[in-house]
Amino acid sequence: MTQSYPTARELGLHGCECCGLVLSTPEGGAWLRCPRCAFELHHEKPMSLQRTSAWLLTAALLYVPANVLPVMATQSVLGRDTHTLVGGILELWASGSWELALIVFIASIAVPLLKIASLGLLTWTAHRRSRWRQRERAGLYRLVETVGHWSMLDVFVVVLLVGMVHFGVLASVEPEAGLLAFGAVVVATMLASSSFDPRLIWPQSPSDERA
Amino acid sequence: MASHRGPLRWSWLRGPEPTAAERGRCTPRPDLLVCNECEAVYPRQALAHDAVLRCRRCGATLGRGHWLAVDGQLALTVAALVVFLIGSASPIVTLELRGIRSVASLYEATLLTWRSGEHLVALLSAATAFAFPLVVIVLRLWVLVPLLAGRRAPALVPAMRLLRWVMRWSMVEVFMLGVLIAVVRGAGVTSLVLGPGIFAYAGLTLLLTAIQASGLHELWQQALGFADSPHAPPSAIAPAACVGAPP
Repeated sequence: MTQSYPTARELGLHGCECCGLVLSTPEGGAWLRCPRCAFELHHEKPMSLQRTSAWLLTAALLYVPANVLPVMATQSVLGRDTHTLVGGILELWASGSWELALIVFIASIAVPLLKIASLGLLTWTAHRRSRWRQRERAGLYRLVETVGHWSMLDVFVVVLLVGMVHFGVLASVEPEAGLLAFGAVVVATMLASSSFDPRLIWPQSPSDERA
Repeated sequence: MASHRGPLRWSWLRGPEPTAAERGRCTPRPDLLVCNECEAVYPRQALAHDAVLRCRRCGATLGRGHWLAVDGQLALTVAALVVFLIGSASPIVTLELRGIRSVASLYEATLLTWRSGEHLVALLSAATAFAFPLVVIVLRLWVLVPLLAGRRAPALVPAMRLLRWVMRWSMVEVFMLGVLIAVVRGAGVTSLVLGPGIFAYAGLTLLLTAIQASGLHELWQQALGFADSPHAPPSAIAPAACVGAPP
């Protein structure tokens, strides 16, 4: 990977992130806006790493109550039961639908954890302006962006169960506090990945000044 | 430090017109393409309808040939609106337990979640599964209908900026999978019959995926021009990797 590519910064160009228009900005400098969509033009998002780290920390803290607190309660003639995320997965597994148990496990346990870990790695290496495995890190970023919103799966499942099973004392499902924490984890990780600027994976050569 | 500049604070939505001074400092280069993820520069090239353009440096998708013109996109969007209305108005499943019948729809599920005290969760799921997809469809109609007639939609720039934001938070496909898992888990408790809502949402998932496949840059281009006459690409810059048939 020694091949060098002309970058927008070297050529005095800005690519608009919002609408894709390329602009020649020979004077460079701050406070430029795209003439087509009025989006602010930057070579890197301002405060990207700080924002990403803040959202990541939020997500990591909320991950604890999301898994410890019950996400729903079921009412039946036998009494009231509370269920955590892991409990729901075990239930699906025990009822024989192991494929769905696997999907829910991936979407609600593995994906949030891997997202926090991956974004942590990306933020740390970008902070150090590392050139280690840049292409793979770019791929990892895209994976995190693509997979991101699928963790919302469990929130929808519980809300739908609440809507479906409402037979009073015979059988009913109610949401519990853990669900809010889990929803907040998903939103925080999505905000973290949208604050991260993948252009930071490709630092300019040391001779260039940081704009 | 963008947040300190007062007037720009909400610019993601309002989209203020750049001043003459700002316009003077940047000249559009419609002949070029910049990778959003690594800033590599390429000559812009026309794409066949099934081709994908990738960045040689970081592998990001730079563009996708769109297989539908404006009228085709509009047709799909109208279809999505119809399917969306059916999906949100009709029951997803009907359940029966000891003679009691209950009909579940997204509206019902949100309402019951709200009543049980989890207001934020109810809002979150209603927004991502109902409100945002609706806004996506309506904004696309807002942009595409005048475009087909050769006019520019009112408030086009704010509409497109809002569309860009709201597309990220619309989660119809996740909701669809959630319905399937909830049905399997609910089947353990009661007997249930699938309603038209579930099929409508399945159709909506496919339609929205097809509509959103080519990304927003192309729509900006169609709606607001700028690259009507591309110059000859500068020879010094190597083209991006094109996967698929050459145009």
